[in-house]
Amino acid sequence: MKPPLSALSLLLAALATAATASAKPEIVVVLNSGDGTISLLDKGNYREIKRFPVGKEPHHLMISPDGKDLYVANSVSNELVILDPDTGEIRRRVPKISDPYQLGFSPDRKWFVTASLRLDRVDIYKADGFQLVKRLPMPKMPSHLAFTADSSIVFVSLQDTNEIAAVDLAKQEVMWKMPSGKTPAGLYLTPDQKYLLVGVMGEDYINVIDWRAKKSVMKIHAGKGCHQFLPMGDKVHVFVSSRIDSQIDKLNFKTMKIEATYKVPGGPDCMQMTADGTELWTTSRFISKVSVVDLATGKLKKVIRVGYSPHGVYFRNHAETN
Amino acid sequence: MFDWFDTLFDLVQTRIFETVVQPIAYSLGLMAYSEMAYDGVAWFLYGMLQILLALVVIRPLESLWPAENWPDRRGTRLDIVYTLLARSGLLPLVFFVMLRPLTGALDGWLRLHGLILPNLEDLIPGLSEWPLISFLIYLVVIDAADYVRHRLQHRLQWWWELHALHHSQRMMSLWTDDRNNLLDGAISWFWFAMVSLLIGVPPGQFVLLVSAGRIIESLAHANVRMSFGWVGERLIVSPHFHRLHHAIGTGHEGRYFGCNFGTLFPWWDMLGGTANFEPGFPPTGIRDQLTGVNYGETFLDQQWLGLRRSFRAILGRKA
Repeated sequence: MKPPLSALSLLLAALATAATASAKPEIVVVLNSGDGTISLLDKGNYREIKRFPVGKEPHHLMISPDGKDLYVANSVSNELVILDPDTGEIRRRVPKISDPYQLGFSPDRKWFVTASLRLDRVDIYKADGFQLVKRLPMPKMPSHLAFTADSSIVFVSLQDTNEIAAVDLAKQEVMWKMPSGKTPAGLYLTPDQKYLLVGVMGEDYINVIDWRAKKSVMKIHAGKGCHQFLPMGDKVHVFVSSRIDSQIDKLNFKTMKIEATYKVPGGPDCMQMTADGTELWTTSRFISKVSVVDLATGKLKKVIRVGYSPHGVYFRNHAETN
Repeated sequence: MFDWFDTLFDLVQTRIFETVVQPIAYSLGLMAYSEMAYDGVAWFLYGMLQILLALVVIRPLESLWPAENWPDRRGTRLDIVYTLLARSGLLPLVFFVMLRPLTGALDGWLRLHGLILPNLEDLIPGLSEWPLISFLIYLVVIDAADYVRHRLQHRLQWWWELHALHHSQRMMSLWTDDRNNLLDGAISWFWFAMVSLLIGVPPGQFVLLVSAGRIIESLAHANVRMSFGWVGERLIVSPHFHRLHHAIGTGHEGRYFGCNFGTLFPWWDMLGGTANFEPGFPPTGIRDQLTGVNYGETFLDQQWLGLRRSFRAILGRKA
């Protein structure tokens, strides 16, 4: 009777492994910029399961081009912290990355670019090995970045001079600057590469810029304090958060019309949408919480307590962000 | 344990920010600074809490065990104005706005030339993962730097002429800590900002570091007959220890131009040979006040006299 027993124990072991795997919660990583911690949330149960120190002022994060690592930019610690995107565990640190407030890899994976909001710089590194190639002085407060699909240009919003700058990545020089409206923040390049959308935080609109002609072609009224974009992955819609009116608008960038508005408390900032399109998660900067919107009903579904001034948010199973 | 406090604090901070501060920032075109303004509301609330705590805890001690008995407290009133200006965040805001471009430009320039100043966390592996220990180390380092600053305030004649206002209070009370010449305050903040830049204190947190010991500083200045005992006196600055720093005869005279310069910890005085643990609670003030030298009765007088004397000291003239 030994063979059947062995088979049974193998079966039990397999079941136990499967049970363990299914019990492992799907993690949401939240950067608490104000207290230098990371909150790990259980996505299924909407609760914080762990909070741990990571460094000084972590603001933004992004997944590596190969999807294996999650990069957290600690602006005041001058470093990148590399996390396991599925568990949130720290894998290693990359030092000597100067004040990385915002970060991005060019689509061709050649360049890694950071914006230093506090020190008025844009730094260009080789993506492979993070070797600094160029440190570009900028007018005041460069904040958000957007790359063209061909990786030739990175656009930078300059919050304190109310401009957008275009940086030539091959030459590593500023090609041009143009006015953008008061305190520009988030940037989004439409998939057809025609328009650059700018969240105008000092006012209440999205500035639609024909960047090749270097002129504003439309202003779309949204909430006061327009801030950050998140594409829905359908190549038609993009979300835009507004800090002051505390809302998120759903913009159809084919028609350039707002199709829905979701009220979210506490100054919504960075966002992430679930892959099935049912939920929109956002950091609520000024109430130390993460808010979850049910996109079917348009209502606030959950509010989860995290650390001080939460900013970046990430989970693996999200909608396409291109 | 303190979740209820955090929740309440956040609620008040958010309400003030969203209903008052953020709309003002928006209307003035200052949204680029909205996150700093959000932190600013927290500084304001910390300051108000410090004052509340001082009123509830330290003020009764002054009544119960006074170091000196006064017929009334009218002489302390102007110091309350100084305290409100400092702890409401108004003066820190002015200094911060003045200094931020300067420190940012210096840090940015250094980086442009390839030098990123190290954080303490770079020098001590693993410290990033222990923020409380990191905070305490920063606090100790900042306090050591403050001891050096305070020694210079007494040693350099032009600086002493500004700092003398602080020492000229003959009715030293829990309100005296913030009685300072505005230029003296600005120079002190510049000092803190430079030290913070050197050791990598986050810009938003250095105010918290400076503020952290404020309640101890209020107690140190209080008109209280209180000593922390032989061991305690050597661990943290007490009302007795600091009274000797303000006392006529020891506070601004002698080989080191005073004694007991430590702000939070007496360790630096013990190391520097400037500690004085002698018993007693002597009267406070500056010796030349006994011969009629005036340091001003009104806010403007006090500010002006300090500036004039400092300027004359720079020019090498007699005050």
